[in-house]
Amino acid sequence: MTQTSPVLSVRDLSIDLRTGSGKRRVLSDISFDLAPREIVGLIGASGSGKTILSKALVNWIEPPLEIAAGRVEYKSNNILTVASGPMRKLRREIAYVGGDPMGALDPTLPVGYQIVEKLQAVAPEIGTAEARKRVVDLLDAVRIPSAKNRFHEYPSQFSGGMMQRALIVDALVSNPAFLVADNITQPLDVTVAAQVLRLLRELTERFDTAVFFVSSSLPVVSDVASRILVLEEGRIVEQQETTALVQHPKHPYTSELMAQIPKLWAEGAANVPASTGKEVVISVRDVSRSYSVRKRGTFASHNTVRAVRNVTFDVFAGENFGVVGESGCGKSSMMRLLSRLELPDSGQVLCNGDDISRLSGKDLLKFRRNFQLVLQDPFSSLPPRTAIGAILEEPLRTHGVPDRKELRQRALTVMDEVGLPSSLYEELPIGLSAGQRQRINVARAMVLQPKVLIMDETLSSLDQTEQFKLLKLFEKLQAQYGLTYVFISHDLAMVRRVCNRVAVMYLGEIVEIAHNQRLFFDPGHPYTRTLMSAVPTLEERRYHQADYLLEGEPPSPIDLPVGCSFAGRCPNVMDRCLTQSPVLTDRGSKDMAACFLLDEPINRDMRVVA
Amino acid sequence: MSVLEAIPAKSVEPESIRGASISRRIWRLAMSSNEFRFGLAICLILLIAAIFYPEWSGIDPTKMNVKDRLIPPLFLQQGWTWAHPLGTDQIGRDMLVRSLVGLRYSFLIGVSTVALMLCVGCSLGMIAGYFGGKIDTVIMRITDAQLSIPMIILAIAVLGVSRPTIPAIILVLGLSSWPTYARVTRSVVMTERKREYVRAAQVMGASNFRIMVRLLAPLILPPIIFVSVLDVARMMIFESILGFIGLGVQPPTPTFGNIIADGRKYLLNAWWIATMPGVFLCVTLTSINLMGAVLERARNRIHGGAS
Amino acid sequence: MFVLSFLVRRLLQGALIVFIVSLLIFTLLRVVPGDPVRLMAGGMAPEALIEQIAKDMGLRDPIIVQFGRYMSGVVQGDLGQSFVRPANGASTGGANFNDSTRGERAKVLDLILETLPMTLQLAGLAIVIALAFSFLVGIPGGLAPGRWPDRLAFYISSIFVSLPNFWLGIILALLLSVKLGWLPAIGYQGFAYTILPAIVLAVELSPVLIRTLTASMAGIMMEPFVAVGKVRGLSRRRIVFGHALRNASVPLLNLLGIQFSGLLGGVLIVEFIFDYPGLGLLTINAVLQRDFPLIQGIAIVTSAIFVFINIAVDLVATMIDPRLEY
Repeated sequence: MTQTSPVLSVRDLSIDLRTGSGKRRVLSDISFDLAPREIVGLIGASGSGKTILSKALVNWIEPPLEIAAGRVEYKSNNILTVASGPMRKLRREIAYVGGDPMGALDPTLPVGYQIVEKLQAVAPEIGTAEARKRVVDLLDAVRIPSAKNRFHEYPSQFSGGMMQRALIVDALVSNPAFLVADNITQPLDVTVAAQVLRLLRELTERFDTAVFFVSSSLPVVSDVASRILVLEEGRIVEQQETTALVQHPKHPYTSELMAQIPKLWAEGAANVPASTGKEVVISVRDVSRSYSVRKRGTFASHNTVRAVRNVTFDVFAGENFGVVGESGCGKSSMMRLLSRLELPDSGQVLCNGDDISRLSGKDLLKFRRNFQLVLQDPFSSLPPRTAIGAILEEPLRTHGVPDRKELRQRALTVMDEVGLPSSLYEELPIGLSAGQRQRINVARAMVLQPKVLIMDETLSSLDQTEQFKLLKLFEKLQAQYGLTYVFISHDLAMVRRVCNRVAVMYLGEIVEIAHNQRLFFDPGHPYTRTLMSAVPTLEERRYHQADYLLEGEPPSPIDLPVGCSFAGRCPNVMDRCLTQSPVLTDRGSKDMAACFLLDEPINRDMRVVA
Repeated sequence: MSVLEAIPAKSVEPESIRGASISRRIWRLAMSSNEFRFGLAICLILLIAAIFYPEWSGIDPTKMNVKDRLIPPLFLQQGWTWAHPLGTDQIGRDMLVRSLVGLRYSFLIGVSTVALMLCVGCSLGMIAGYFGGKIDTVIMRITDAQLSIPMIILAIAVLGVSRPTIPAIILVLGLSSWPTYARVTRSVVMTERKREYVRAAQVMGASNFRIMVRLLAPLILPPIIFVSVLDVARMMIFESILGFIGLGVQPPTPTFGNIIADGRKYLLNAWWIATMPGVFLCVTLTSINLMGAVLERARNRIHGGAS
Repeated sequence: MFVLSFLVRRLLQGALIVFIVSLLIFTLLRVVPGDPVRLMAGGMAPEALIEQIAKDMGLRDPIIVQFGRYMSGVVQGDLGQSFVRPANGASTGGANFNDSTRGERAKVLDLILETLPMTLQLAGLAIVIALAFSFLVGIPGGLAPGRWPDRLAFYISSIFVSLPNFWLGIILALLLSVKLGWLPAIGYQGFAYTILPAIVLAVELSPVLIRTLTASMAGIMMEPFVAVGKVRGLSRRRIVFGHALRNASVPLLNLLGIQFSGLLGGVLIVEFIFDYPGLGLLTINAVLQRDFPLIQGIAIVTSAIFVFINIAVDLVATMIDPRLEY
């Protein structure tokens, strides 16, 4: 690539995992160079050895892992053989940021203090006053608001995005020669992740730092890296310049990875139910829900978190309705309201015309039977010590099916429908994969033969291949039983693929609700455009980050700003937005958005019901 | 997450253990440790001895025998005899039989007390943790109040004023130390009830009682019960303390407490009367505590490890 | 401001706890069989006299009335007067009960305040010894899970927890005091008399401390920030003493708060064995003499101390770990 000598060169690196029965090779014959100021990306599926490789680069290989062969050369030293004392000095030049920002610092000490501590540990000659100044300056540079005060705050007072910024500061504060960034955007929301990536690019330029950027998402890597390595089962199967790789992948595995990336705007991206009924199955009318949280350090005063604010929408029979938004937008509260785990403070949720908060006894049981929920976490959603058959029979028992034979028969039928082998009937779910567990969850919901299934982030813990298979299953079940789905998700691509109508939530409100095609090609709300500018994709973006992605995070739902809640991050903000709050405005064919940029509302006084 | 991601934590355990329920896994893990087996062996030997030896040997633990008084234990001082391996006391009663009979009472009281504590503590904790809100506040305030009185003061106050019979002792000890169980159960239930499978059961239409009894109880109680083995030992100590200050099972029934209290008067010329039952009690307790501590560690490992 | 509101809230809660304790112990003492007046007056006293005394002392009123009367005294700092102890010292026996007016009997509060400092001295020393020992054994154990320091900590705590305190007291007194003559044991004539009882208490206290310290230390060393700390360039010593120990001290502190009542239980027995003139000995004597006001007074004072200690513990814990809610 360049004529300059590389900062880091890896030669024939192999790493073994020592298990009870012997050794297993997890990385074999890795070789590559990292030039100064270069950003090299590494992509691979989970379990391919990405994290192990990135740890090897910072000499962090601990039992049961061991180096089998090879060198990691920095300044013509093999850092894998450097003793711990001198290695500590080297850490000034070799930095690492991981994918778990909330666990990376001691929770009992202020963030700034810990960054100073690290700086002085690797560079003892720097005085405390100078170190502090440097840290505050850098915190400022990563756009942490009021950095001077934030310096004294504790990790728990930082949001995930803020913390990741602070950790980037922590890594760059000693002015390292290269930085290993291991999955740093993984736990973050799309808009925050996009901000962090943008920041990383800026800073590494400013500090002349080379970066080894690891991620499981090719779009993310291609956004930052100039060259990409593809890792499959511990081997680098391909390395190319980013543009070349994206256009002409050489190795079949790379092509496969690219094929799995969901499309947003391309032809055939959406695969939604063709015809939906006119019958309204769920009708949410002006629903609000607040939680009260005790104010820290006060005697009896409470803060009100307004999780869901005046939400109104209808779901029609046989359709796939999506609710998208980032963490904290109120979509989980919405799920709890829809499934009657909680009751709204005001407004109504109507199911086939009945207010579900009034149901009790037999009617409630009937509602439960028709209205099932599939939950997010495939691990905590199954009782850990119950056999799969018993898990599936339990809901039937609750609903009064006493006959053992019939129970067993129905459990086995539903297992067959979701693609679980009947041999699992007696097994405990403990050894099963996330995908299989999620099938059990679906089966448990399906066994009562409901009419509506609410999917709360059901697919987000699965990898693309598994997601694809489950979506196929959902399709099949829908065709067979005429189900209605409500998908609650943070994943725009997933929503694009399956939902015919989508509601976008921000800070407890629905800011836009539209048909799939309209939402992605002609969004009515600036927040929707911001989301789309931040989604990692290989496609030509319709909405560019430079135009739509502003700095800042959503305000706290405790101190809601006056006016439009998105005003603080909106590229089109007007004076009016700071004082008045826009309501949903009809844009034709039941698509609506809440923004003053649209024409005057047809009817200002009444919220229009879709 | 990412830090640990590289090392598949689960694969450390053999395949066969993975499929088993949590309590089975705890049990197996515990059984694989030498300390546990050692404790179990000692404990079993002592219990078998306590059950059979007094009748088998035909020695009456309360019968005076002035001729054989103050015989020292085996090998330790001139004058020992095989007939009385742990020696005799000031009126010639056999120390071994007395200790074993003491062990019977001690163990009986220890186990029943812990059972009582578990019943009261776990049900209150379950209710408090599950329902939360006002019910929780009321139960937890009572628990706090109870925790704030040293239980021994409560126990001796009640036993000192009324007559110490065995049921009274069990009742008093059991009712005075349930709060720890209430607290532990409550905190586990509180975390567990937020888990999604509880939510799933609710959506399924299961009643609260059903969720508590069928879903939560079998899941959270076994680990708590395992660790309560430690409390059996603790309660046995309390029982002996009560006996020692004269508020336990009343003489002539021998208990560790009253034997030691008796022997204390002869400490200088017959040191074994006070010390030997103590050694005996100590060995018993150590064996129980070893088992309890291993179980506790096993539980922590299993809970800290996989789902 | 935070601290102030925290204190107000916790003190109110504490007052409630003390109130419940009073109610509990008060009712218990009156519900269980056994008439204190009979004991005071002696077995030979005629029934009429006993009834007379009981009436005079208000012991035949409904429990609620008695409790109300008692609590109104407690609020004013009056814990009542002992049934049996005269103001001038040695306790009176039941047999020579005569018409001595209640004014001559000792005030419960005075009795408690006389003995409390002795007990605090004993408990304080015991905690210091126990903590020092636990740190010495527990920290290496927590840093080397599964290896010999861990095993050592495990064995030590398993054996220590199996030593009944009264028996250990007797043995140590026999060995260290009678046979070897190193330490004085019985009674109290100076600070040296505190050492042996304190050792016995420390032995009783340390197993839980060791266990908690080992477990929390081992747990914290598994936290991501410890591993990442190394990669960030922090030295092991800094990680262990600057971060891990800091985090591990929170559960230890909470434990100390909870263990307080266990400690008092131990104090009771140890003082009884060593004839150490503290609160514990007072309690045992009060119970044996059925001195209801004294028992109640002690229960109230100890629960109040418990409340204060736990408020202090929580305050310190929140200072160490700001995530803990006030």
